[in-house]
Amino acid sequence: MPAVEMVGVSKTYRRRGGQPFRALDDLHMTVESGGVHGLLGPNGSGKTTSIRVLLGLVRPDAGAGQMRLLDRPVPAELNGVIAEVGALVETPLFSPGLSGRMNLRLLAEAAGVSRARIEECLEFVDMRDRAGDRFKGYSLGMKQRLGIAAALLKSPRLLILDEPSNGLDPAGIKDVRELVRRLGHDGRTTVLVSSHLLGEVQQMCDSVTILARGRQVASGPVAAVLSRTGSGDVRVGVPDPAGAAAVLTAAGYSVSPAPDGQVLVHGSPAPGAISRVLAEHGHYVEELVRVTPDLESAFLAITGGQA
Amino acid sequence: MSAATQQPKAPVGPEAARRTGSLVRSELLRFATRRFIQVLLGLAVLGWLGAIGIGLLSFDQPTPADYAVAEAEYERVIADEEEWREECAEQAEAAGQPTDAFCGPPLTVENFLQVEPFDLGATAEVGAMGFAAAAAVLAFLVGATWIGAEWSNRSIVALLFWVPNRLKVMGAKLGVLTVAAAVIGVAAQAAWLAMAGILDAAAGSGAELPDGFWSELLAAQGRAVLLTVLIALIGFGLANLTRNTGAALGVGFVYFAVLENALRIWDPMVERWLLTRNAVSLVLPGGSEVYDYDDIDATGNPATYLISNLHGGLVVAAFAAVIVGIGAWLFARRDLH
Repeated sequence: MPAVEMVGVSKTYRRRGGQPFRALDDLHMTVESGGVHGLLGPNGSGKTTSIRVLLGLVRPDAGAGQMRLLDRPVPAELNGVIAEVGALVETPLFSPGLSGRMNLRLLAEAAGVSRARIEECLEFVDMRDRAGDRFKGYSLGMKQRLGIAAALLKSPRLLILDEPSNGLDPAGIKDVRELVRRLGHDGRTTVLVSSHLLGEVQQMCDSVTILARGRQVASGPVAAVLSRTGSGDVRVGVPDPAGAAAVLTAAGYSVSPAPDGQVLVHGSPAPGAISRVLAEHGHYVEELVRVTPDLESAFLAITGGQA
Repeated sequence: MSAATQQPKAPVGPEAARRTGSLVRSELLRFATRRFIQVLLGLAVLGWLGAIGIGLLSFDQPTPADYAVAEAEYERVIADEEEWREECAEQAEAAGQPTDAFCGPPLTVENFLQVEPFDLGATAEVGAMGFAAAAAVLAFLVGATWIGAEWSNRSIVALLFWVPNRLKVMGAKLGVLTVAAAVIGVAAQAAWLAMAGILDAAAGSGAELPDGFWSELLAAQGRAVLLTVLIALIGFGLANLTRNTGAALGVGFVYFAVLENALRIWDPMVERWLLTRNAVSLVLPGGSEVYDYDDIDATGNPATYLISNLHGGLVVAAFAAVIVGIGAWLFARRDLH
């Protein structure tokens, strides 16, 4: 059962005195239950808008009848399903003059969540010691952690986190990454996390949807999406790169210059064959590395470098 | 972050009906914890204590020495006063009106007393009007900041992640404000009665209260509570439309200081539909009258329009309903960011 489904969803923002902005353009997205699903895209690609549409904050122009959360149609049944959906959208929205604990209590009261659960969630995000302090005195990282605690209060089956690492220091980013992975693999929670930190998505997520200009441009397991870059190239370090490139070209390989005076051989060639061809022509290999594809290169390749 | 907690096996999953009740409780708690509202109410209490202090310093039982000074002043002016009163009586007779109504009551020694006792019968309604006005201003501020702060820190959007039904959220906030404004209105009128009781006990004139005093006073105070609630809703509605407390206060100021006066200049009879006049007419016993000087009758008197308590209440309620209604409708339909 998909945790999230969007079929043909479109949304155009009409700005006073400005050009209309098409934030979502016939967006299709499916997030299967369980695990961590990343939502990746450059600024303005529609990540936050798609989350807002799912949560009923923004009305789509098309596709409103073809969205589902936890297999229930939204927004029609959003009131019924919201108790099982936790969300943190962009920055946490709390009353600055109240303590972190009181802010959580105000939300918990609205849904009949126990005070014990508040303490559990504060403990979970390591905020219990500072929960009595006013929200406005928190660091960005603490605010973000409190936002995650709020999203967890309902013990959600679907957790939606929009840029949860925003403003966090490296240690905080690592904490969030571990938290997200733990939640996504606890057997009952599906995590949908958007981020512009490509490495973070690569480390956190089991599957990914890539958006560009409001459309899905790639989706699937992270490994499968990475394979679409055509990577698997082999980088060859030799004393005479120009000579080696000529030999490889003559042998039928597709080559191009690589940084640091190396040669890049395309088309997933066998490293041993490259080494043998070069050695036969007096070029002795100093370094031979198969390039590991990363999400950044995949993203740039798929979106045409519009990030 | 620690790993002390795992997601519970089963979701919390509160029932919808239970959540509705909890939303109101949550909003009551939110209202009670709002710091600016606490400051406003604290300042109101301080103002009340100050008013009692000023009242205790202003009223006192006159001594024989005070009477002697008043008697001397009375003797000094009474000759001129009687001469003027004879002329005035002749004019009253010519106009066919009672002398006291036309010229005012004759002077007495008490008019010259520098120290006056507190007269509960004469000041109770005036005081109730004053406290009604103060409570209305306080309620306007409370209503505006109640929703204005929610827009400022966007916690109202966060609440929609828990209760997506926007009208239910708006209804809960309005319900809490209505109860709170009613409490403020009742507390303000109770504060006036308490203050009047203290002044009466400390420096009361001892004069008998007129017939129907309590029934008329309590009715006026009840209408004052209604006014407090309606003005609170108007403050809420303006802040909800502008999404900013300061902007709501600005709109209120421009309306009262500029727009109403401009409308009066344009057509004096518009007065019948202005918020200020109708707010006063709602509370004032018997309402108030507006004179149309463009419509003079055969005796030279202008046409008179009575703005009754009911008329005043309906107009103020209409203002509140339109402002709150438009804001709620927009809240239900707008994209929220």
